[in-house]
Amino acid sequence: MSTQELFAILPLLLLSAGIVILLLQVSFWRGHRSALATTLITLLLAAGSCFWVGATLSGGVSSVQATGLLLVDHTALFFCLLLLLTATAVSIMGYSYLRLRCNPERNPGSYPEEFYILLLLAMLGTTTLVCASHFATFFLGLELISLALYPMLGFAVTGDLSPAREQAQSLESAIKYLLLSALSTALGLFGIALVYSAGGALDFSGIAALMPELAQTSALFATGITLFLISVAFKLSLVPFHIWTPDVYQGAPTPTTALIATVSKGAVIGFLLRFFNTLDLYGSPVLINLLSIAAIASMLVGNLLALMQTNIKRLLAYSSIAHIGYLVVAFIIGKSTFGTEAVIYYLVAYIITTLGAFAVVGLVADSVEDRILKGEYPESPPSDADNPYHRDFYRGLLWRSPWLASCLAAMLLSLAGIPLTIGFIGKFYIFTAGVEGQLWVLLAAVVIGSALGLFYYLRLLLTMVQRDPTLTAESTGSVQIAVSGQWLLVVLTAILLLFGIFPQLLINWINAL
Amino acid sequence: MTLMAIIILLFAGGILAWLSERYLQRGGHWIGLVSLLLASLLLASYWPYLGAAQVIGSGPWWDSVQINWIPRFGISFHLAIDGLGFLMLALTMAMGIFGLVMTWNDIHFRRGFFYFNYLWTLAGVVGVFTAMDLFLFFFFWEVMLVPMLFLIAVWGYEQRLFAAIKFFIFTQASSLLMLIAIVALAYLHYGNSGQLTFNYNDLLDAQLAPSTAYWLMLGFFVAFIVKLPALPFHPWLPDAHTQAPTAGSILLAAILLKTGAYGLLRFNLPLFPESSAAFAPVAMSIGAVSVIYGAMLAFAQSDMKRLVAYSSVSHMGFVLLGLYALNTIAMQGAVMQMIAHGLSTAALFALVGALQHRLHTRDMTQLGGVWAILPKLSAIALFFAVASLGLPGLGNFVAEFTVLVGSFRSSHWIAVLAATGLIGAALYALIMMQRGFFGALNKRLQKLSPQAPIADLNLRESCALLSLAALLVLLGLRPQPVFDIASPTVARSLAHIETARAQYAKDQGIGTRFTSQEQTWAKPHPKESESP
Repeated sequence: MSTQELFAILPLLLLSAGIVILLLQVSFWRGHRSALATTLITLLLAAGSCFWVGATLSGGVSSVQATGLLLVDHTALFFCLLLLLTATAVSIMGYSYLRLRCNPERNPGSYPEEFYILLLLAMLGTTTLVCASHFATFFLGLELISLALYPMLGFAVTGDLSPAREQAQSLESAIKYLLLSALSTALGLFGIALVYSAGGALDFSGIAALMPELAQTSALFATGITLFLISVAFKLSLVPFHIWTPDVYQGAPTPTTALIATVSKGAVIGFLLRFFNTLDLYGSPVLINLLSIAAIASMLVGNLLALMQTNIKRLLAYSSIAHIGYLVVAFIIGKSTFGTEAVIYYLVAYIITTLGAFAVVGLVADSVEDRILKGEYPESPPSDADNPYHRDFYRGLLWRSPWLASCLAAMLLSLAGIPLTIGFIGKFYIFTAGVEGQLWVLLAAVVIGSALGLFYYLRLLLTMVQRDPTLTAESTGSVQIAVSGQWLLVVLTAILLLFGIFPQLLINWINAL
Repeated sequence: MTLMAIIILLFAGGILAWLSERYLQRGGHWIGLVSLLLASLLLASYWPYLGAAQVIGSGPWWDSVQINWIPRFGISFHLAIDGLGFLMLALTMAMGIFGLVMTWNDIHFRRGFFYFNYLWTLAGVVGVFTAMDLFLFFFFWEVMLVPMLFLIAVWGYEQRLFAAIKFFIFTQASSLLMLIAIVALAYLHYGNSGQLTFNYNDLLDAQLAPSTAYWLMLGFFVAFIVKLPALPFHPWLPDAHTQAPTAGSILLAAILLKTGAYGLLRFNLPLFPESSAAFAPVAMSIGAVSVIYGAMLAFAQSDMKRLVAYSSVSHMGFVLLGLYALNTIAMQGAVMQMIAHGLSTAALFALVGALQHRLHTRDMTQLGGVWAILPKLSAIALFFAVASLGLPGLGNFVAEFTVLVGSFRSSHWIAVLAATGLIGAALYALIMMQRGFFGALNKRLQKLSPQAPIADLNLRESCALLSLAALLVLLGLRPQPVFDIASPTVARSLAHIETARAQYAKDQGIGTRFTSQEQTWAKPHPKESESP
């Protein structure tokens, strides 16, 4: 392995080093804040190194093949950067979550530092995944993410001060994800094996060389790729592989939910872009038909089921199913003028918005938890209006905590695709891509899905602005959230508006890839 | 730059009003009023163009500003104003000030946020009336919706949430179709010319296959007639109007409905001339049916606000009819109807609002004989009711008459059908007066009145309403200035249609019949100036 190759995978190396340092640090000197600090430094250093590596790539060589397993190019680095920054936000959310619930002073059996180690491990998985150029690294990356996610999903169970009901739900979500994820991995592995038996190669460029003969004749190859795609669709929670999503999203600790909704999906999308581009699978009618059907089903089912939810986390879960459906519409047209660009822009919009929405939900729940621990608030909510995950809790929030509610309102408008927000530009990109590919049926599904989506986003939004005669303005009090959380929300909202009003900034970056 | 200054002024005014109410607990309505007056003053700086509409400088635009916005898609921040735009902006400002003055003390809950939404809606509308980039147009089209949604949902009456969501979903879903049509239009133009742009002036020259153009036209058409609203897409309107606070109803009726009509005239007809011409009979029928259907439903209402709302459907039907009659008289009449309907309906909503504020009901079964206790209000209501039914001498009459005259040339039967709507208008307007204001005082009101004497219109409200009445009389007696200001825009829209028709006729080899007709259209019609 040459120096250049080692340098190219600098973000991965930094992450690995960070994990080792954190492990050592925790074994000698326990401390929640110091663990957070190490995590943030690692993530930001890795993110910064993406720029550094990117700068060296621009001169002549556009990509570096590090061993047979990893290929580092600008797109991969962009995804690394995006995901690492997302993880930074998640770790801040995690701090706010764990500070109350996993407090070693109150409960000696709790180890909040584990969360950060697992988070870094998952990030190592995602960065590996977006740089993968070989089925082995794909598998490695995917399993790293999954294995780190299982304990993170069940994090509320050990040494936690959360109510028993939340612990049970957290355990449920971890086990559901474990079983279904293992099943999908098995399918994916079987698919990979079939592809190997058909072509005799596992690296993507090797398969791409064999494509002309394989694509035409080999049923084995087609079956393999389809199975492989199914395992990926599971990670993306495309309908009909979405059944796990609402339960897992609802039960998991909110920072983990945000992680699974943004980082794990973003990494898979990044990988798929490279996989389809290298193998040029956009020409395969079977795969495109499969994806189209899954996209239409995701948009319709996701939005229809979201209509019936009163739990905010479940609602966001279904809405994320629908949003991945929109994204696949742009994905289908592939390597054309707007295809890849649209996918990346929409993904950025989706990540920022979803992260923001979950951050609000998580921080609101944290503030309630804080009051529960202080004994000011009943542990099991007597009514829906006292359950921080229920829609009724948000009634009149705009009058109680205007800034917090404004942030959530911006996120909801962005999810609904209303101008001035990044979500609108994302939707515009989807339409452009769809028109370019002349996918009229899919576009019709996007329109129907968006109209359905409006209903539940608006209902939540209007719940927040309702003037409630029973609530006198200050009696129930505003929702007090942690300062770090406030900063996180302000930054996310600012980015959302910035890229919504001046999208050219982001477009320039994406075009430079 | 003046156009941009107007928009920025309104946006900034909204934020300032919010902050001032939040931190000083007062001053919101003054800030609103001052920013509206300043904006009107800026608009008045276009006064010199009014006389010499056609002679000045570069092309049809009086003034324009263009700044690169999203070069990747060839999208620019492009605003421009011409005669039609000026009329619409003047209506917007006037109605904005009117709504603010009429509801000066009505809002008690979160006043700052109310004025914020009020001004942002107006800013969005100004953007819609001046945007010359289709993307920007769509952008403002949506920007004006969200604050309107809040106006209905927060300050509305009993069923406000339902009404707000219904309003939003109708307009948003239809406007997504328009977005697809816009993108497809730009993309097809890109395919033909190699230049990706959303600029209106460039897209006017887009070469489209007839069948494609027809579909794209429908995408725009649906979005615009939902807003108008015309028959199959009107159900959002009665609910939104009834549940909205008075100021919100005024904005909706006087200005937001006009954005649909404006869109048809500015975008739909010139961008897709062939398909619009082919579609005209259908659109005219929709217009005529809306006229009658709106009148019938208005007649059947017992809620006075709903009655006025349905009368809007009826009146806007005339606009649709006039625009698709595709000749100068009818289109001029449609523009006139946009303005006259804006004035008269805004006044009627304001009156119903004032009535409800005083008597706490707008149900006509609980009203009756109001003239005895509120003589000024009732007299003014009578004036606007007869204006709405089209009394000669007032603006609405000129508008409806010219629309009917113009559309009679295009299609006799549809015009005859629509004309029967005038009878309906007389019926619902008079029944409203009869049940609400004349006759013996309702028993419920008799109990109410001795305890606390009900205040009639005060000076502020009387002045606002009387100035609208004066404007309507002025438009009725001297409509020619409005026709003159709007004529270049109308002529340009029509020119596109006629070129398209001539082209079509040439292709079909039946040129003679069409060209002869075309000449009659091209002739100036002396009648239009002397209609009252």
